[in-house]
Amino acid sequence: MFGDLRRFDVGQPQGLDWFRQWMDEVFPDSPAADIRSVPRGSYPMINVGRTDDAVRVYVFAAGLTAEQLEVSIQDNVLTVSGKREAPDVAAEGQAARTDFRRERYQGEFSRSLALPDGLDIERTEAHFRDGICEVRLPKREELKPRRIEIQAQDAS
Amino acid sequence: MNEVTRRDGAQEPAKREERKEALVPAVDIFEQGNALHVIADMPGVTRESLSIEVDNNILTLEGEVKLDMPEGLSAIYAEVRAQRFMRRFTLSHEIQADAIEASIENGVVHLVLPKKEIHRPRRIDVKAA
Repeated sequence: MFGDLRRFDVGQPQGLDWFRQWMDEVFPDSPAADIRSVPRGSYPMINVGRTDDAVRVYVFAAGLTAEQLEVSIQDNVLTVSGKREAPDVAAEGQAARTDFRRERYQGEFSRSLALPDGLDIERTEAHFRDGICEVRLPKREELKPRRIEIQAQDAS
Repeated sequence: MNEVTRRDGAQEPAKREERKEALVPAVDIFEQGNALHVIADMPGVTRESLSIEVDNNILTLEGEVKLDMPEGLSAIYAEVRAQRFMRRFTLSHEIQADAIEASIENGVVHLVLPKKEIHRPRRIDVKAA
């Protein structure tokens, strides 16, 4: 599945984050980055893939429900925004809690990405399941790949 | 609870190779009441694809991203570039390993690791001399 994505050069895998940051400090002149790119590990992470008939955007938004995630498109820029609430510490009415690690993102977020041209925005649909939101943006009819029949010429 | 960063040399090479491609889920760990809580972000992991193991005092949290993707999908841009999440922690001796409870909702795993009875805080009365 995403194993296929490794041949695209979009930075180091997440686990090598510290190493990459250290390398960036030592060798600061990294190649130009996309204007809307974010540091690795930002919430939510996004994958974009393309098939013959549609572009699919996958938003990895663990802990959200469909109602808490807002997806909008304007001028061919897709924006994903929402808020992930802090866990209900007080609501449990329990004993004091001691935190050891707080790595999970909390609070509001908003991420945008530019879409390729030629999508039929009107027919966009989004589904949410197990913390992943899949947005399907169909391509316009005229941009879909077309098979061209090759006509055999009569050897007359 | 210290995170295990050392690779286990005893693992067979094939398994170790596979592990390289796993993502490290972000976690919150806190202690509340008589238990430790671990909350991990694992989007796309379902109840069926999640595996939690305790072996030799090492807690392994592992899950496969279950995502239906159409045939012939090619990537334009990718931040998530593995199919699995994996993270390990060493447990301290006071955790009651056989009483660990886990739940998953919307790609968030919640583990409750209760402490053993004898390690729970006890109030000691100070008697007047």
